Amino acid sequence: MDASSPIISIRSVTKKFPGVTALAEVSLDITAGELHSIVGENGAGKSTLMKILSGVITDFEGEFLLAGKPVKFGGTRDAEAAGISIIHQELNLVEQLSAAANIFLGRELRGWLGLRDDRAMEEAAGRLLRELECEIDPRELAGSLRVGDQQLIEIAKALSLQSDILIMDEPTSALTESEVARLYRVIESLRKRGVTILYISHKMDEVFHLSDRITVLRDGRLVRTLRRSETSAKEVTHLMVGREIEAVDFGGQRTAGEVLLRVENLSLPWPGHARGYRLKDVSLELRRGEILGIAGLMGAGRTELLECLFGAAAEIPSGKIILGGREVRFRHPREACRAGIGLVTEDRKRLGLFAAMNVGENVSICTLDRTGTFGWINCSKEWAMAGDVSQKLAVKTSSLAAAITSLSGGNQQKCIIGRWLLTEPRVLLLDDPTRGVDVGAKAELYRLMDQLVRGGIGIIMTSSELPELLTVCDRILVLSEGRLTASFLRSEATEQKIMEAATLGAA
Amino acid sequence: MSPPSTSPQSRLPLRFNELALLAAIVVVVIITAAVDSNHSYLRQPYTSFRDIARNVALLGIFALGAGVVIIAGGIDLSAGSMIAFSGTVCASTMMLLAPETMINMRPVGPLVAFCGIAAAILSGFLVGTLHAWLITAVRLPPFVATLATLVGLRSFARALCGYVTAKTLGGSGNTEINVYDPYFSFIRDHIWYVYVPVFVALAAFTYLLLGSTVLGRHIYALGGNEEAARLSGIRTDRVKWFAYCFSAVTASIAGVFYVADQSVASPVNQGVGYELNAIAAAVVGGCSLQGGIGTVPGIIFGVVFLRVVIDSVAKLIKSGSDIYEGMIVGIVVVLAVTFGQIRQIRASGRQLFPGMLGVIAIPTLALSIGIITAMTTANVTYLKGLDVWIGLGVALVVLLTLASVKLTQVSSKP
Repeated sequence: MDASSPIISIRSVTKKFPGVTALAEVSLDITAGELHSIVGENGAGKSTLMKILSGVITDFEGEFLLAGKPVKFGGTRDAEAAGISIIHQELNLVEQLSAAANIFLGRELRGWLGLRDDRAMEEAAGRLLRELECEIDPRELAGSLRVGDQQLIEIAKALSLQSDILIMDEPTSALTESEVARLYRVIESLRKRGVTILYISHKMDEVFHLSDRITVLRDGRLVRTLRRSETSAKEVTHLMVGREIEAVDFGGQRTAGEVLLRVENLSLPWPGHARGYRLKDVSLELRRGEILGIAGLMGAGRTELLECLFGAAAEIPSGKIILGGREVRFRHPREACRAGIGLVTEDRKRLGLFAAMNVGENVSICTLDRTGTFGWINCSKEWAMAGDVSQKLAVKTSSLAAAITSLSGGNQQKCIIGRWLLTEPRVLLLDDPTRGVDVGAKAELYRLMDQLVRGGIGIIMTSSELPELLTVCDRILVLSEGRLTASFLRSEATEQKIMEAATLGAA
Repeated sequence: MSPPSTSPQSRLPLRFNELALLAAIVVVVIITAAVDSNHSYLRQPYTSFRDIARNVALLGIFALGAGVVIIAGGIDLSAGSMIAFSGTVCASTMMLLAPETMINMRPVGPLVAFCGIAAAILSGFLVGTLHAWLITAVRLPPFVATLATLVGLRSFARALCGYVTAKTLGGSGNTEINVYDPYFSFIRDHIWYVYVPVFVALAAFTYLLLGSTVLGRHIYALGGNEEAARLSGIRTDRVKWFAYCFSAVTASIAGVFYVADQSVASPVNQGVGYELNAIAAAVVGGCSLQGGIGTVPGIIFGVVFLRVVIDSVAKLIKSGSDIYEGMIVGIVVVLAVTFGQIRQIRASGRQLFPGMLGVIAIPTLALSIGIITAMTTANVTYLKGLDVWIGLGVALVVLLTLASVKLTQVSSKP
């Protein structure tokens, strides 16, 4: 990166929301053609900054220069016209429309008599998607695609807009390792075309793999901008949190007790799909006091496995589930709860939180009948119960009456774990529990899981990040296309071995 | 963000929009008392109050049911037909049990009256169960399931009425069944003994249900996030079953009251369109159609506000005011919901009349308000003959006001 003039330049940008200053006096230059990473913990102001750059937020203090000229966007359309596209962390696709229709949404190609020309759009979409190594049919509905492919649709949309600046907000948070590798290749080819990329992430390996420069935000302030070649992951993490993260070994010297849960030949059918099954002959054992990790690519059946164990699967599974020596067959999550199983779901916002309820109500929802008799809620007991557990988990909230949505991702996750701890589970199922949780809170969650298994429960967790499984779990099972392909003790597992097992069936 | 609270309930006794609604009710009453040329609120406060209380109780009973279903994330469009259906079931049951006395307009006795009322309420439970089955087992969207019964139940009631009267009276059957029983006329004549206590009891029941029971919390959870509720071990299908039964049963209680009120079960015209009044009252009272949000005080104030405004217009227009009822409900719903969002609209800096849509919306609003003004002033005696001019004037004022709102909003935007 030579000293070419900045394509984006912002000068003392400040954005205040009622009660909080999201950004304070941030000044930043982005050089044309560079890949500039913005890192920071949740709540550091990354998203606000990106929303300003992409025209989502239009009222802020300070100056915004694009290629040397001051600009003032009235909305995202202005930003798109100026060549800035954003790929949001939560994708903005119309699930009921096809991939092609999504790519050309709002700019539909017209043909004869000004009628919509679907054929032309599908062809153009197909070309764009092929460039991105995406093998999907442009006529497929966006909602039926995997997250990784949906994201490529958004990137294809940006390409079709001829954007020369692309903002990617935590693009890998829901991707499997192979999809991440594909995304890296896509990013490489975008850079060859001269696209400037602003990359938001809190995964250090990605940031260091991709970036030219790295800007660290903390509490709405710009801490420093560094060249990748002149810094280290440790320094950046230090700047992000303002303290060193100790590399604790979460899970040393745990001894597993008796078998809590045994699964024999569990199969889950998948009607209408070529493979015919989501899970096939899965057998596993979970012992008291251990954390069992489930690795696998997206679509390997990790979530489905946990859903089967929790009685929440869409189809009826076959095979045996033996909990504490007795065979169980759950037809509703209620029965699993009663039997002492808890499930912390993967998609917190969609499957876990009650956004209209406060923190306390979110925590107590599973154990309300315990507070009173005959279906009455004893409010003070409810509050004491929720207060105890949220204190135990160190949930950071102004009060139990605060809106759950006012909490950070990590604290929301703690509330949901707390919800299940109140049910005094024997087995806790955690489906990708650290998704969308920042670095500091992750370490806290790991420590919490360690405490819990030492307290005598068993945990089965999945994760889309292999290093996480290698840090936290005692044993790791690998799923590939619905079958169990490998089982490792932590001491013998490596990322390489797990990836090999996870891609076994796919070949 | 929110102030620290020692109370377990985040829901304060009255929230901001409920207080605003209460204030609006008071304002409407004061204006009516002042402007009404007969000054009936001042001269006959008791009669006026009684009329309003009666109407509030009648609408309120099934608005509570509509509110509970809305909070649970569903919708029940069938209330109006359910009212007609349960009334017909009530009258038909009595007709079958005591045909002679019914035909001769003699008292049917407590047992038969009880059976009629019990049958009506049972019919509500059965229809609610049917809704729950269609929605949870057949997986119809609530809108479709209850739309089907909205259309179907009224016709069912008419057929039932004809069949039962043909069986008992001979001939080709009647379109209505007269009910002259003294128990029913007692209900009609003593609103403080029956209508209002039933409404108050039902409101208290619903308040406790939503605020203090596990089932109530599960209703909020179901409406707020159905999938999360299921994965928290809540039997969402049962909660839905309860919600739709509650709604249908409240409508069937209202159905009995309408039979008592009009001394007749008339499936053709009883309760037509009432489901929308109930939904409107719930929405005005702050229930979110997305589910998960709403309170009993809100629903009650919504009902009171709606009835007070309708009554106020009746007092001001004197004759033929029922024509305006639909317009009033529509306008009140739009204004109430807009008011609830006005802070959001201001905060987001969104334009109220953007672009070409605004350019056409402004004269549309001015024209409709002008015409409504002209039509209503035509009935006011001391303004006779001036209606067209007043309408024109009002339309012009509205046009200029809204246009200036648009212009200031446009010019304040850079």
